[in-house]
Amino acid sequence: MTRGDKFLLAGLLLISLLSIAALYGRFSFFPDRVGPVRAVVSVQGKVVRTIDLPAASRSSFVINGRLGPSTVEVEGARVHMHEAPCNGKICVNQGWISHPGQSIVCIPGEILVRIEGAAPLDAVTR
Amino acid sequence: MRFGTRRVVFLALLVAMGTALHVVEGMLSIPMPIPGVKLGLANIVTLLAIYLYGFRDGMTVALLRVLLGSLIGGMFLSPGFLLGLTGAVSSTLVMAFLLKRTNCFSMIGISMAGAVAHNIGQLLAASLLLQSSAVIYYLPVLLLTGIPTGILTGFLLNSLLEHDKTSGILHDFTRA
Repeated sequence: MTRGDKFLLAGLLLISLLSIAALYGRFSFFPDRVGPVRAVVSVQGKVVRTIDLPAASRSSFVINGRLGPSTVEVEGARVHMHEAPCNGKICVNQGWISHPGQSIVCIPGEILVRIEGAAPLDAVTR
Repeated sequence: MRFGTRRVVFLALLVAMGTALHVVEGMLSIPMPIPGVKLGLANIVTLLAIYLYGFRDGMTVALLRVLLGSLIGGMFLSPGFLLGLTGAVSSTLVMAFLLKRTNCFSMIGISMAGAVAHNIGQLLAASLLLQSSAVIYYLPVLLLTGIPTGILTGFLLNSLLEHDKTSGILHDFTRA
């Protein structure tokens, strides 16, 4: 190896380390912004309630569906159907949802709980 | 530029060697968690062609090698072929410049610069192809892997030239 080789090696190593620092440092200092997230509850297609997530405290409220009152509970960034008058209890058994795009559907009560907002992308393919 | 029969034959030999290395290398899988990392053995032949015959013939050998290698490997005009082509062109440009216009680098440094230029060219082609700048996050990986593979191929070429000093095996290549 000549002196020139060594300088080149050192320069390239420096550039790679700098590029690592620049590219991966960006994530720690400027994380990808996540838009506002909210839970939207609709009955028979009409929005009856929206809750900004994450909620400050644990709370529950009653939604009047087609079969009668159901209870939706919010805790932090997640939502679930606490109680429902239907037979199957599929909505109750589904448990908590928290990610934008997830939804709880109650067919007999015609209630839809959906989490809306811009999610950070998992992957992009073209 | 005169295309003597001898030179055509030796260029063809270099292309054949480069193609063989290119194809064999495509069959080797390097135990790396990331795709796209290659040894770049075929680069030895490109650099040798530049060393023996100059930039234009080096470029000819590199282009023909990529073309033939992709035809044999069944990758002609695939995205991988386009990336390999861009990489080969950019590394040939950089290596020819360093070899012919500077004299402070040995084959190790030149080959290292060629490997890094290959990876950067490939990355630019990939970002054009995918129309996304997200591939830039691959840059540190490719830079860091280009350095040791470049040193390895440069070392191989250095020892070939060292061997040539005593045995004169390359004499036939350049004899008029």
